[in-house]
Amino acid sequence: MRVHLQTSDNRPLYVQIMDEVRRGLVRGTLSPEDALPSVRELASSLQINPRTVSQAYAELEREGVVRVRPGKGTFVAPEVRPEENERPRLAREVALRTLADVSRNGLLLEEVLEALHGLGQAVEREEALEEGIG
Amino acid sequence: MNTKTAAALPVDLGGGPFTITTRDLTKRFGSTTALNALDLRVPEGAAYVLVGPNGAGKTTLLRTLIGMARRDHGAVEVLGIDPERRGADARGLVGYVPEGHRIGYPWMTVGRLLKHCEALYPSWDTDYAARLVDAYEVDLSRKCRSLSKGQSRRVQMLVALAHRPPLLLLDEPTDGLDHVIRDVTLSILSEHFADSPTTALISTHRVYEIERLVDHVGVLRQGRLLGQMPTDELRGKLRRYWADVPDGFEMSTELAGRVIRRTEGMRDIEWTVWGEEKLVVNGFGRAGATVREVAPLSLDEAATALLANKETS
Repeated sequence: MRVHLQTSDNRPLYVQIMDEVRRGLVRGTLSPEDALPSVRELASSLQINPRTVSQAYAELEREGVVRVRPGKGTFVAPEVRPEENERPRLAREVALRTLADVSRNGLLLEEVLEALHGLGQAVEREEALEEGIG
Repeated sequence: MNTKTAAALPVDLGGGPFTITTRDLTKRFGSTTALNALDLRVPEGAAYVLVGPNGAGKTTLLRTLIGMARRDHGAVEVLGIDPERRGADARGLVGYVPEGHRIGYPWMTVGRLLKHCEALYPSWDTDYAARLVDAYEVDLSRKCRSLSKGQSRRVQMLVALAHRPPLLLLDEPTDGLDHVIRDVTLSILSEHFADSPTTALISTHRVYEIERLVDHVGVLRQGRLLGQMPTDELRGKLRRYWADVPDGFEMSTELAGRVIRRTEGMRDIEWTVWGEEKLVVNGFGRAGATVREVAPLSLDEAATALLANKETS
């Protein structure tokens, strides 16, 4: 799992780490029972305060996404169901960020939805064409 | 524009426990007041960054905290010790990286210096020192006097960290270091915080480098502490607001926040405001403005905005 953080992001760093774990689950780079990097490792590679990592892991544990096994490390909980839980949650996060972007640009949600719809259809057409050629 | 001035920035960090406490700390050089009635509070376990322009008093403050500069007024307590009375005791418990790059024993080789430190500090961690020698690529056979600025800084960091002191006082820890070694230093500090219970007070111009390592910030200008607070609080309360405004917009009602910086176009504004975001947005709304975006500032931007604002004091 690669963790990317952005200082300019509205979300506090620990929330960004939590979202990165969720993103790993949705994309399949993280699976149930996988070990997460240790607090020390992740803090060192991101050059952040280890407490920020601990805070993220503690919150994830409260949400039931990870489990801390004393002396062994932090693991993705065996019972997580990324498709049922993390996926809709991540979609909501992305939607929230998009909404903020819509408002910042002074646009209406309907206009952006329409544009998204059009783009989606164009992508689908291209994919269909490529499959036809292949 | 007429905005009521809200309360000053917070300096009160509550009940502690604090590793460093100064009360009314004042230091003068002749007619210049270097430190002016300073109430510094560094909570136990905090990584506290001190920001401020040259001459703000950062170095003098750190020197006062380990008894290397005498105060003219006020009280100082560092790890329960008054460093002016028991300077040697305080220095034994502190990992100090001074502003200057000169090492106290110019005739010694670095290897000899480390042996000396090992004898000096009961808590010296020989394995850790060896790992830092590797990480910092320190040449043990060099004489301390012949070290470049960057090499000297690495040795100073090594000596400060290797006895795992309960308190680190770092005066521009990355000064003189090239990009790669700066990067190494930040990872070393992350690992050090993870491995050892440490309180750290760091003074730096390069706030952006250590933004993610610190959890408290103090802003110092002309010997005065403009504010000190957890970085989360700063991030939460000091925000930039972009708003569309009608022609002839005037902020006549109280904004429920303190305007730190204003940039204005004809029909839009970008203000940096200290306050509760919801209340500030409502305040803009009452004045007829539509807030389009609210964003936190980086620590560097926040420090710059606060230091540039002449009303903060």
